[in-house]
Amino acid sequence: MIEFLRTYSRRHAHVLRTTLAQTVRAPVASLMTIAVIGITLALPTGLYVVIGNLERVSRGWDAGGQISLFLKRDTADSAAEKLADRIRRIRGVARVDYISRSQALAEFKNLSGFGNALNLLNENPLPPVLTVHPTNAAEPEAVEKLLDQLRGIDAVEFAQLDLDWVRRLHAMLVIAERGVFVLAGLLGLAVLLTIGNTIRLAIMNRRDEIEVMKLMGGTNTFIRRPFLYAGVLQGFLGAAMAWAIVALVLWFLDSAISDLAALYGSDLRVQGLSAADAGVLLALGALLGWIGSRVSVQRHLRAIEPS
Amino acid sequence: MIEFNHVFKRYPGEHDALKDINFKIERGEMVFVTGHSGAGKTTLLKLISLIERPTRGQAVVNGKNIGRLPLHRVPYFRRDMGIVFQNYKLLFDRSVYDNVALPLVVMGLEARDIGKRVRAALDKVSLLNKEKLNPIVLSGGEQQRVGIARAIVHRPTVLLADEPTGNLDIVLSEEILDLFLYFHQHGVTVLIATHDQRLINRAGKRMIVLKHGEVAHDTLDSVDVRQ
Repeated sequence: MIEFLRTYSRRHAHVLRTTLAQTVRAPVASLMTIAVIGITLALPTGLYVVIGNLERVSRGWDAGGQISLFLKRDTADSAAEKLADRIRRIRGVARVDYISRSQALAEFKNLSGFGNALNLLNENPLPPVLTVHPTNAAEPEAVEKLLDQLRGIDAVEFAQLDLDWVRRLHAMLVIAERGVFVLAGLLGLAVLLTIGNTIRLAIMNRRDEIEVMKLMGGTNTFIRRPFLYAGVLQGFLGAAMAWAIVALVLWFLDSAISDLAALYGSDLRVQGLSAADAGVLLALGALLGWIGSRVSVQRHLRAIEPS
Repeated sequence: MIEFNHVFKRYPGEHDALKDINFKIERGEMVFVTGHSGAGKTTLLKLISLIERPTRGQAVVNGKNIGRLPLHRVPYFRRDMGIVFQNYKLLFDRSVYDNVALPLVVMGLEARDIGKRVRAALDKVSLLNKEKLNPIVLSGGEQQRVGIARAIVHRPTVLLADEPTGNLDIVLSEEILDLFLYFHQHGVTVLIATHDQRLINRAGKRMIVLKHGEVAHDTLDSVDVRQ
Protein backbone atom coordinates (compact mmCIF):
# COMPACT_ATOMS: atom_id res chain seq x y z
CA MET A 1 0.00 0.00 0.00
CA ILE A 2 2.76 2.41 0.98
CA GLU A 3 4.73 1.37 -2.09
CA PHE A 4 1.65 2.03 -4.22
CA LEU A 5 1.22 5.49 -2.72
CA ARG A 6 4.87 6.28 -3.30
CA THR A 7 4.67 5.22 -6.93
CA TYR A 8 1.46 7.19 -7.28
CA SER A 9 2.82 10.42 -5.79
CA ARG A 10 6.07 10.02 -7.71
CA ARG A 11 4.17 9.82 -10.96
CA HIS A 12 2.07 12.84 -10.11
CA ALA A 13 5.12 14.85 -9.12
CA HIS A 14 6.77 13.86 -12.40
CA VAL A 15 3.72 14.88 -14.43
CA LEU A 16 3.39 18.19 -12.59
CA ARG A 17 7.05 18.97 -13.34
CA THR A 18 6.77 18.12 -17.02
CA THR A 19 3.49 20.04 -17.35
CA LEU A 20 5.00 23.14 -15.80
CA ALA A 21 8.09 22.70 -17.97
CA GLN A 22 5.92 22.52 -21.09
CA THR A 23 3.97 25.63 -20.06
CA VAL A 24 7.25 27.47 -19.63
CA ARG A 25 8.70 26.04 -22.84
CA ALA A 26 5.80 27.38 -24.94
CA PRO A 27 5.17 30.62 -23.06
CA VAL A 28 3.40 32.48 -25.87
CA ALA A 29 0.89 29.75 -26.64
CA SER A 30 0.26 29.12 -22.94
CA LEU A 31 -0.11 32.82 -22.20
CA MET A 32 -2.57 33.29 -25.06
CA THR A 33 -4.83 30.54 -23.75
CA ILE A 34 -4.53 31.82 -20.19
CA ALA A 35 -5.29 35.38 -21.34
CA VAL A 36 -8.40 34.26 -23.22
CA ILE A 37 -9.63 32.39 -20.15
CA GLY A 38 -8.67 35.32 -17.92
CA ILE A 39 -10.60 37.88 -19.94
CA THR A 40 -13.58 35.55 -20.30
CA LEU A 41 -13.74 34.98 -16.55
CA ALA A 42 -12.99 38.63 -15.70
CA LEU A 43 -16.31 39.78 -17.19
CA PRO A 44 -18.70 37.93 -14.86
CA THR A 45 -16.29 38.37 -11.95
CA GLY A 46 -16.23 42.13 -12.50
CA LEU A 47 -20.02 42.33 -12.68
CA TYR A 48 -20.23 40.28 -9.54
CA VAL A 49 -17.99 42.77 -7.76
CA VAL A 50 -20.05 45.74 -9.03
CA ILE A 51 -23.32 44.21 -7.87
CA GLY A 52 -21.76 43.25 -4.56
CA ASN A 53 -20.73 46.85 -4.00
CA LEU A 54 -24.14 48.26 -4.99
CA GLU A 55 -25.79 45.86 -2.59
CA ARG A 56 -23.43 46.76 0.20
CA VAL A 57 -24.05 50.46 -0.31
CA SER A 58 -27.85 50.22 -0.54
CA ARG A 59 -28.05 47.96 2.50
CA GLY A 60 -27.05 50.97 4.60
CA TRP A 61 -29.96 52.94 3.18
CA ASP A 62 -33.00 50.81 3.66
CA ALA A 63 -32.51 50.53 7.42
CA GLY A 64 -33.30 54.26 7.58
CA GLY A 65 -36.52 53.91 5.62
CA GLN A 66 -38.44 57.03 6.49
CA ILE A 67 -41.36 59.12 5.34
CA SER A 68 -40.81 62.77 4.52
CA LEU A 69 -43.83 65.01 5.01
CA PHE A 70 -43.41 68.29 3.16
CA LEU A 71 -45.79 70.72 4.86
CA LYS A 72 -47.50 73.67 3.23
CA ARG A 73 -45.12 76.59 3.16
CA ASP A 74 -47.32 78.83 5.22
CA THR A 75 -47.47 76.39 8.12
CA ALA A 76 -46.26 78.12 11.24
CA ASP A 77 -43.61 76.57 13.45
CA SER A 78 -46.06 76.17 16.32
CA ALA A 79 -48.63 74.43 14.10
CA ALA A 80 -45.94 72.14 12.73
CA GLU A 81 -44.78 71.24 16.25
CA LYS A 82 -48.36 70.48 17.21
CA LEU A 83 -48.78 68.29 14.14
CA ALA A 84 -45.57 66.46 15.04
CA ASP A 85 -46.99 65.72 18.48
CA ARG A 86 -50.21 64.41 16.90
CA ILE A 87 -48.29 62.14 14.56
CA ARG A 88 -46.09 60.85 17.38
CA ARG A 89 -49.25 59.40 18.94
CA ILE A 90 -50.16 57.40 15.82
CA ARG A 91 -49.52 53.68 16.18
CA GLY A 92 -46.52 52.50 14.21
CA VAL A 93 -44.62 55.76 14.46
CA ALA A 94 -41.31 55.51 16.26
CA ARG A 95 -39.99 59.03 15.99
CA VAL A 96 -40.87 62.33 14.35
CA ASP A 97 -38.28 65.02 13.62
CA TYR A 98 -39.21 68.54 12.69
CA ILE A 99 -37.01 70.45 10.29
CA SER A 100 -38.11 74.08 10.20
CA ARG A 101 -37.78 76.19 7.05
CA SER A 102 -34.73 78.04 8.38
CA GLN A 103 -33.07 74.79 9.49
CA ALA A 104 -33.72 73.32 6.07
CA LEU A 105 -32.21 76.35 4.38
CA ALA A 106 -29.10 76.22 6.57
CA GLU A 107 -28.65 72.54 5.88
CA PHE A 108 -29.12 73.01 2.17
CA LYS A 109 -26.59 75.86 2.09
CA ASN A 110 -24.10 73.64 3.85
CA LEU A 111 -24.47 70.56 1.71
CA SER A 112 -25.25 71.92 -1.74
CA GLY A 113 -22.44 74.42 -2.07
CA PHE A 114 -24.91 77.01 -3.43
CA GLY A 115 -24.62 78.98 -0.16
CA ASN A 116 -23.85 82.37 -1.69
CA ALA A 117 -26.31 81.98 -4.50
CA LEU A 118 -29.10 81.30 -2.01
CA ASN A 119 -28.36 84.60 -0.30
CA LEU A 120 -29.66 86.30 -3.43
CA LEU A 121 -33.16 84.88 -2.91
CA ASN A 122 -35.63 87.19 -1.30
CA GLU A 123 -37.34 84.53 0.64
CA ASN A 124 -36.70 80.98 1.76
CA PRO A 125 -38.08 78.65 -0.93
CA LEU A 126 -37.98 75.55 1.26
CA PRO A 127 -41.03 74.08 3.03
CA PRO A 128 -40.95 72.82 6.61
CA VAL A 129 -40.50 69.07 6.77
CA LEU A 130 -41.50 66.36 9.23
CA THR A 131 -39.49 63.17 8.95
CA VAL A 132 -41.47 60.22 10.26
CA HIS A 133 -39.62 57.02 11.20
CA PRO A 134 -41.97 54.02 11.21
CA THR A 135 -41.44 51.45 13.97
CA ASN A 136 -41.26 48.69 11.43
CA ALA A 137 -39.66 49.95 8.27
CA ALA A 138 -39.15 46.40 7.06
CA GLU A 139 -42.88 45.73 6.67
CA PRO A 140 -43.87 47.40 3.44
CA GLU A 141 -47.64 47.05 3.95
CA ALA A 142 -47.65 48.67 7.39
CA VAL A 143 -45.49 51.50 6.11
CA GLU A 144 -47.74 51.90 3.08
CA LYS A 145 -50.78 52.18 5.31
CA LEU A 146 -49.10 54.74 7.50
CA LEU A 147 -48.14 56.70 4.40
CA ASP A 148 -51.81 56.86 3.25
CA GLN A 149 -52.88 58.02 6.66
CA LEU A 150 -50.28 60.80 6.72
CA ARG A 151 -51.15 61.95 3.22
CA GLY A 152 -54.66 62.64 4.47
CA ILE A 153 -53.49 65.33 6.89
CA ASP A 154 -54.48 68.86 5.80
CA ALA A 155 -51.19 70.60 6.38
CA VAL A 156 -49.29 68.01 4.38
CA GLU A 157 -48.51 69.21 0.87
CA PHE A 158 -46.67 66.11 -0.23
CA ALA A 159 -45.63 62.83 1.44
CA GLN A 160 -42.81 60.73 0.14
CA LEU A 161 -41.64 57.29 1.17
CA ASP A 162 -37.87 57.39 0.84
CA LEU A 163 -37.78 53.61 0.68
CA ASP A 164 -39.40 53.44 -2.76
CA TRP A 165 -36.37 53.89 -4.92
CA VAL A 166 -34.27 51.70 -2.65
CA ARG A 167 -36.77 48.92 -3.23
CA ARG A 168 -36.68 49.51 -6.97
CA LEU A 169 -32.89 49.39 -6.89
CA HIS A 170 -33.04 46.12 -5.00
CA ALA A 171 -35.42 44.62 -7.52
CA MET A 172 -33.07 45.68 -10.30
CA LEU A 173 -30.10 44.24 -8.47
CA VAL A 174 -31.88 40.89 -8.19
CA ILE A 175 -32.37 40.90 -11.95
CA ALA A 176 -28.77 41.95 -12.53
CA GLU A 177 -27.58 39.23 -10.19
CA ARG A 178 -29.46 36.58 -12.13
CA GLY A 179 -28.10 38.05 -15.32
CA VAL A 180 -24.61 37.64 -13.97
CA PHE A 181 -25.31 34.00 -13.19
CA VAL A 182 -26.57 33.37 -16.71
CA LEU A 183 -23.59 35.23 -18.16
CA ALA A 184 -21.20 33.35 -15.89
CA GLY A 185 -22.76 30.08 -17.04
CA LEU A 186 -22.36 30.95 -20.71
CA LEU A 187 -18.83 32.25 -20.31
CA GLY A 188 -17.95 29.23 -18.18
CA LEU A 189 -19.03 27.13 -21.13
CA ALA A 190 -16.80 29.26 -23.35
CA VAL A 191 -13.87 28.56 -21.01
CA LEU A 192 -14.70 24.87 -21.16
CA LEU A 193 -14.61 24.93 -24.95
CA THR A 194 -11.41 27.00 -25.03
CA ILE A 195 -9.60 24.57 -22.76
CA GLY A 196 -11.08 21.58 -24.55
CA ASN A 197 -9.79 22.92 -27.84
CA THR A 198 -6.34 23.72 -26.48
CA ILE A 199 -6.06 20.23 -25.07
CA ARG A 200 -7.25 18.75 -28.36
CA LEU A 201 -4.46 20.60 -30.16
CA ALA A 202 -1.96 19.44 -27.54
CA ILE A 203 -3.07 15.85 -28.06
CA MET A 204 -2.76 16.19 -31.84
CA ASN A 205 0.72 17.71 -31.45
CA ARG A 206 1.85 14.81 -29.33
CA ARG A 207 0.30 12.08 -31.39
CA ASP A 208 3.60 10.26 -31.93
CA GLU A 209 4.45 10.34 -28.27
CA ILE A 210 1.03 9.01 -27.30
CA GLU A 211 1.29 6.21 -29.84
CA VAL A 212 4.76 5.22 -28.62
CA MET A 213 3.65 5.35 -24.99
CA LYS A 214 0.72 3.07 -25.77
CA LEU A 215 3.13 0.63 -27.45
CA MET A 216 5.42 0.77 -24.40
CA GLY A 217 2.56 -0.27 -22.13
CA GLY A 218 1.36 3.14 -20.97
CA THR A 219 -2.14 2.97 -19.52
CA ASN A 220 -4.79 5.47 -20.58
CA THR A 221 -4.74 6.92 -17.07
CA PHE A 222 -1.02 7.53 -17.35
CA ILE A 223 -1.21 9.03 -20.83
CA ARG A 224 -4.09 11.38 -20.12
CA ARG A 225 -2.68 12.64 -16.82
CA PRO A 226 -0.40 15.36 -18.25
CA PHE A 227 -3.30 16.68 -20.34
CA LEU A 228 -5.58 16.86 -17.32
CA TYR A 229 -2.83 18.64 -15.42
CA ALA A 230 -2.37 21.09 -18.28
CA GLY A 231 -6.12 21.77 -18.35
CA VAL A 232 -6.33 22.34 -14.60
CA LEU A 233 -3.24 24.55 -14.68
CA GLN A 234 -4.62 26.67 -17.53
CA GLY A 235 -7.99 27.02 -15.82
CA PHE A 236 -6.34 27.97 -12.55
CA LEU A 237 -3.93 30.49 -14.09
CA GLY A 238 -6.78 31.88 -16.23
CA ALA A 239 -8.85 32.44 -13.08
CA ALA A 240 -5.83 34.07 -11.42
CA MET A 241 -5.54 36.37 -14.41
CA ALA A 242 -9.25 37.22 -14.17
CA TRP A 243 -8.68 38.12 -10.55
CA ALA A 244 -5.73 40.30 -11.51
CA ILE A 245 -7.73 42.01 -14.26
CA VAL A 246 -10.60 42.82 -11.89
CA ALA A 247 -8.20 44.06 -9.20
CA LEU A 248 -6.39 46.21 -11.75
CA VAL A 249 -9.61 47.75 -13.09
CA LEU A 250 -10.84 48.48 -9.55
CA TRP A 251 -7.51 50.05 -8.67
CA PHE A 252 -7.79 52.14 -11.81
CA LEU A 253 -11.34 53.27 -10.93
CA ASP A 254 -10.87 53.54 -7.18
CA SER A 255 -9.82 57.18 -6.90
CA ALA A 256 -12.52 58.28 -9.36
CA ILE A 257 -15.18 56.46 -7.35
CA SER A 258 -13.96 57.89 -4.05
CA ASP A 259 -14.16 61.38 -5.56
CA LEU A 260 -17.71 60.70 -6.67
CA ALA A 261 -18.61 59.29 -3.26
CA ALA A 262 -17.13 62.35 -1.56
CA LEU A 263 -19.49 64.56 -3.58
CA TYR A 264 -22.37 62.64 -2.01
CA GLY A 265 -20.91 63.15 1.44
CA SER A 266 -19.94 59.50 1.73
CA ASP A 267 -16.57 57.89 2.34
CA LEU A 268 -17.57 54.89 0.25
CA ARG A 269 -14.70 52.68 -0.85
CA VAL A 270 -14.98 50.06 -3.56
CA GLN A 271 -14.49 46.58 -2.22
CA GLY A 272 -12.69 44.06 -4.44
CA LEU A 273 -13.03 40.28 -4.33
CA SER A 274 -12.89 38.89 -0.81
CA ALA A 275 -10.34 36.15 -0.12
CA ALA A 276 -13.17 33.60 -0.04
CA ASP A 277 -14.57 34.82 -3.38
CA ALA A 278 -11.11 34.73 -4.91
CA GLY A 279 -10.68 31.18 -3.62
CA VAL A 280 -13.98 30.19 -5.22
CA LEU A 281 -12.93 31.85 -8.49
CA LEU A 282 -9.61 29.98 -8.58
CA ALA A 283 -11.26 26.69 -7.66
CA LEU A 284 -13.91 27.21 -10.35
CA GLY A 285 -11.20 27.97 -12.90
CA ALA A 286 -9.34 24.79 -12.01
CA LEU A 287 -12.60 22.80 -12.10
CA LEU A 288 -13.52 24.17 -15.53
CA GLY A 289 -10.02 23.28 -16.73
CA TRP A 290 -10.35 19.77 -15.42
CA ILE A 291 -13.78 19.20 -16.98
CA GLY A 292 -12.73 20.74 -20.30
CA SER A 293 -9.58 18.67 -20.61
CA ARG A 294 -11.32 15.56 -19.33
CA VAL A 295 -13.99 15.74 -22.03
CA SER A 296 -11.42 16.54 -24.70
CA VAL A 297 -9.08 13.74 -23.62
CA GLN A 298 -11.98 11.28 -23.50
CA ARG A 299 -12.88 12.11 -27.08
CA HIS A 300 -9.48 12.41 -28.72
CA LEU A 301 -7.13 10.07 -26.87
CA ARG A 302 -9.11 7.00 -27.79
CA ALA A 303 -8.74 7.81 -31.47
CA ILE A 304 -4.96 7.46 -31.25
CA GLU A 305 -4.04 3.81 -31.36
CA PRO A 306 -0.81 2.34 -32.68
CA SER A 307 -1.20 0.91 -36.17
CA MET B 1 5.72 -18.73 -25.34
CA ILE B 2 3.85 -17.87 -28.54
CA GLU B 3 1.32 -20.36 -29.86
CA PHE B 4 -1.04 -19.87 -32.82
CA ASN B 5 -3.85 -22.36 -33.53
CA HIS B 6 -5.88 -21.90 -36.72
CA VAL B 7 -5.63 -18.14 -36.49
CA PHE B 8 -7.37 -16.01 -39.13
CA LYS B 9 -7.20 -12.28 -39.51
CA ARG B 10 -9.48 -10.37 -41.85
CA TYR B 11 -9.47 -6.60 -42.09
CA PRO B 12 -12.91 -5.12 -42.78
CA GLY B 13 -13.64 -5.06 -46.49
CA GLU B 14 -10.57 -7.06 -47.48
CA HIS B 15 -9.78 -10.70 -47.90
CA ASP B 16 -7.94 -12.65 -45.23
CA ALA B 17 -4.60 -11.11 -44.28
CA LEU B 18 -3.77 -14.29 -42.37
CA LYS B 19 -5.27 -17.71 -43.06
CA ASP B 20 -5.15 -20.69 -40.73
CA ILE B 21 -1.84 -19.86 -39.08
CA ASN B 22 -0.34 -22.59 -36.86
CA PHE B 23 2.99 -22.47 -35.11
CA LYS B 24 4.56 -22.64 -31.71
CA ILE B 25 7.57 -20.70 -30.51
CA GLU B 26 9.29 -21.87 -27.33
CA ARG B 27 10.63 -19.59 -24.62
CA GLY B 28 14.09 -18.31 -25.53
CA GLU B 29 13.79 -19.25 -29.19
CA MET B 30 14.85 -16.93 -32.02
CA VAL B 31 12.62 -16.99 -35.10
CA PHE B 32 12.54 -15.07 -38.38
CA VAL B 33 9.25 -14.45 -40.17
CA THR B 34 9.75 -13.76 -43.84
CA GLY B 35 7.81 -13.47 -47.09
CA HIS B 36 6.99 -10.87 -49.73
CA SER B 37 5.42 -7.57 -48.82
CA GLY B 38 1.76 -8.16 -48.12
CA ALA B 39 2.35 -11.77 -47.14
CA GLY B 40 1.19 -11.04 -43.59
CA LYS B 41 4.45 -10.52 -41.65
CA THR B 42 3.40 -7.21 -40.17
CA THR B 43 -0.11 -8.43 -39.42
CA LEU B 44 1.37 -11.36 -37.53
CA LEU B 45 3.46 -9.04 -35.35
CA LYS B 46 0.46 -6.77 -34.82
CA LEU B 47 -1.52 -9.73 -33.48
CA ILE B 48 1.29 -10.70 -31.11
CA SER B 49 1.63 -7.12 -29.80
CA LEU B 50 -2.18 -6.79 -29.60
CA ILE B 51 -2.36 -3.87 -31.99
CA GLU B 52 -4.84 -6.07 -33.83
CA ARG B 53 -6.96 -8.96 -32.64
CA PRO B 54 -7.44 -12.27 -34.45
CA THR B 55 -10.75 -12.69 -36.30
CA ARG B 56 -10.83 -16.43 -35.64
CA GLY B 57 -8.72 -19.07 -33.96
CA GLN B 58 -6.77 -19.06 -30.75
CA ALA B 59 -3.46 -17.35 -30.09
CA VAL B 60 -1.64 -17.45 -26.78
CA VAL B 61 1.26 -15.13 -26.05
CA ASN B 62 3.05 -15.22 -22.72
CA GLY B 63 0.24 -17.32 -21.29
CA LYS B 64 -2.42 -14.78 -22.33
CA ASN B 65 -5.17 -15.55 -24.84
CA ILE B 66 -4.82 -12.48 -27.02
CA GLY B 67 -8.29 -12.84 -28.51
CA ARG B 68 -9.89 -12.42 -25.10
CA LEU B 69 -7.57 -10.10 -23.17
CA PRO B 70 -9.66 -7.17 -21.90
CA LEU B 71 -8.71 -3.75 -23.21
CA HIS B 72 -7.53 -2.41 -19.87
CA ARG B 73 -5.07 -5.31 -19.51
CA VAL B 74 -3.40 -4.57 -22.86
CA PRO B 75 -0.86 -2.02 -21.47
CA TYR B 76 0.34 -4.49 -18.82
CA PHE B 77 0.52 -7.23 -21.45
CA ARG B 78 2.77 -5.03 -23.60
CA ARG B 79 5.15 -4.39 -20.69
CA ASP B 80 6.36 -7.97 -21.12
CA MET B 81 7.52 -7.29 -24.65
CA GLY B 82 9.92 -5.01 -26.41
CA ILE B 83 9.12 -3.78 -29.90
CA VAL B 84 11.58 -2.55 -32.51
CA PHE B 85 10.26 -0.66 -35.53
CA GLN B 86 11.53 -0.19 -39.06
CA ASN B 87 11.19 3.60 -38.72
CA TYR B 88 12.53 3.50 -35.13
CA LYS B 89 9.62 5.59 -33.75
CA LEU B 90 11.94 7.72 -31.62
CA LEU B 91 10.72 10.99 -30.12
CA PHE B 92 12.73 13.97 -31.28
CA ASP B 93 11.54 16.34 -28.57
CA ARG B 94 13.79 14.71 -25.97
CA SER B 95 17.24 13.22 -25.48
CA VAL B 96 18.41 9.70 -26.23
CA TYR B 97 18.34 9.06 -22.50
CA ASP B 98 14.70 10.13 -22.16
CA ASN B 99 13.71 8.05 -25.18
CA VAL B 100 15.20 4.93 -23.66
CA ALA B 101 13.75 5.76 -20.23
CA LEU B 102 10.18 6.00 -21.57
CA PRO B 103 9.12 2.36 -20.91
CA LEU B 104 10.40 2.65 -17.33
CA VAL B 105 8.68 6.01 -16.76
CA VAL B 106 5.47 4.52 -18.11
CA MET B 107 5.83 1.67 -15.62
CA GLY B 108 6.36 4.13 -12.75
CA LEU B 109 9.91 3.22 -11.73
CA GLU B 110 11.93 5.35 -9.35
CA ALA B 111 14.32 7.85 -10.91
CA ARG B 112 17.54 6.27 -9.65
CA ASP B 113 16.51 2.79 -10.86
CA ILE B 114 15.65 4.32 -14.22
CA GLY B 115 19.12 5.88 -14.48
CA LYS B 116 20.90 2.59 -13.80
CA ARG B 117 18.80 0.60 -16.24
CA VAL B 118 18.89 3.17 -19.03
CA ARG B 119 22.69 3.40 -18.84
CA ALA B 120 22.98 -0.39 -18.83
CA ALA B 121 20.78 -0.59 -21.93
CA LEU B 122 22.70 2.19 -23.70
CA ASP B 123 25.95 0.46 -22.79
CA LYS B 124 24.76 -2.75 -24.49
CA VAL B 125 24.13 -0.90 -27.75
CA SER B 126 27.40 1.11 -27.31
CA LEU B 127 25.71 4.51 -27.16
CA LEU B 128 26.48 5.42 -23.58
CA ASN B 129 28.42 8.50 -24.69
CA LYS B 130 25.44 9.84 -26.65
CA GLU B 131 22.77 9.77 -23.96
CA LYS B 132 22.42 13.56 -23.84
CA LEU B 133 22.05 14.07 -27.60
CA ASN B 134 18.79 14.46 -29.42
CA PRO B 135 18.29 11.29 -31.49
CA ILE B 136 17.71 13.41 -34.61
CA VAL B 137 21.47 14.05 -34.86
CA LEU B 138 22.28 10.32 -34.83
CA SER B 139 22.82 8.16 -37.92
CA GLY B 140 20.18 5.60 -38.96
CA GLY B 141 22.13 2.72 -37.43
CA GLU B 142 22.55 4.62 -34.18
CA GLN B 143 18.87 5.56 -34.10
CA GLN B 144 17.93 1.91 -34.48
CA ARG B 145 20.30 1.02 -31.65
CA VAL B 146 18.50 3.57 -29.48
CA GLY B 147 15.25 1.87 -30.54
CA ILE B 148 16.66 -1.49 -29.46
CA ALA B 149 17.91 -0.09 -26.14
CA ARG B 150 14.40 1.25 -25.53
CA ALA B 151 12.92 -2.15 -26.43
CA ILE B 152 15.05 -4.08 -23.92
CA VAL B 153 15.48 -1.54 -21.09
CA HIS B 154 12.52 -2.99 -19.16
CA ARG B 155 13.85 -6.57 -19.55
CA PRO B 156 11.00 -8.00 -21.61
CA THR B 157 10.59 -11.72 -22.16
CA VAL B 158 9.71 -11.25 -25.84
CA LEU B 159 11.47 -9.02 -28.35
CA LEU B 160 9.54 -8.24 -31.55
CA ALA B 161 11.08 -6.50 -34.53
CA ASP B 162 9.35 -5.46 -37.75
CA GLU B 163 11.89 -5.01 -40.55
CA PRO B 164 14.47 -3.66 -38.07
CA THR B 165 17.12 -3.34 -40.77
CA GLY B 166 14.79 -2.18 -43.53
CA ASN B 167 16.38 1.26 -43.70
CA LEU B 168 19.99 0.22 -43.04
CA ASP B 169 22.92 -0.93 -45.17
CA ILE B 170 24.61 -4.33 -44.87
CA VAL B 171 27.23 -3.41 -42.28
CA LEU B 172 24.77 -1.66 -40.01
CA SER B 173 22.25 -4.49 -40.45
CA GLU B 174 24.79 -7.00 -39.23
CA GLU B 175 25.50 -4.85 -36.19
CA ILE B 176 21.81 -4.84 -35.40
CA LEU B 177 21.55 -8.61 -35.94
CA ASP B 178 24.43 -9.16 -33.53
CA LEU B 179 22.47 -7.27 -30.89
CA PHE B 180 19.42 -9.48 -31.41
CA LEU B 181 21.63 -12.59 -31.21
CA TYR B 182 23.10 -11.26 -27.96
CA PHE B 183 19.66 -10.88 -26.35
CA HIS B 184 18.62 -14.30 -27.68
CA GLN B 185 21.67 -15.84 -26.00
CA HIS B 186 20.59 -14.18 -22.77
CA GLY B 187 17.24 -15.92 -22.78
CA VAL B 188 14.96 -13.44 -24.55
CA THR B 189 12.47 -14.85 -27.05
CA VAL B 190 13.17 -12.99 -30.31
CA LEU B 191 10.82 -12.72 -33.28
CA ILE B 192 12.01 -10.76 -36.31
CA ALA B 193 9.95 -10.03 -39.40
CA THR B 194 12.25 -9.35 -42.36
CA HIS B 195 12.63 -10.01 -46.05
CA ASP B 196 16.43 -9.73 -45.80
CA GLN B 197 17.41 -13.30 -46.68
CA ARG B 198 21.10 -12.59 -46.12
CA LEU B 199 20.38 -11.66 -42.51
CA ILE B 200 18.37 -14.85 -41.97
CA ASN B 201 21.11 -17.03 -43.46
CA ARG B 202 23.74 -15.35 -41.35
CA ALA B 203 21.79 -15.93 -38.13
CA GLY B 204 21.09 -19.58 -38.98
CA LYS B 205 17.92 -19.68 -36.90
CA ARG B 206 14.42 -20.96 -37.45
CA MET B 207 12.46 -19.29 -40.27
CA ILE B 208 8.72 -19.14 -40.91
CA VAL B 209 7.84 -18.20 -44.50
CA LEU B 210 4.48 -16.59 -45.13
CA LYS B 211 2.83 -16.54 -48.54
CA HIS B 212 -0.51 -14.87 -49.24
CA GLY B 213 -1.31 -14.98 -45.54
CA GLU B 214 -0.50 -18.64 -45.03
CA VAL B 215 2.49 -20.43 -43.54
CA ALA B 216 4.25 -21.72 -46.68
CA HIS B 217 7.29 -23.10 -44.93
CA ASP B 218 8.59 -23.50 -41.37
CA THR B 219 12.20 -24.65 -41.07
CA LEU B 220 11.32 -26.25 -37.74
CA ASP B 221 9.22 -28.80 -39.66
CA SER B 222 12.02 -29.52 -42.15
CA VAL B 223 14.36 -30.20 -39.26
CA ASP B 224 11.78 -32.64 -37.93
CA VAL B 225 11.50 -34.33 -41.32
CA ARG B 226 15.26 -34.72 -41.61
CA GLN B 227 15.43 -36.29 -38.20
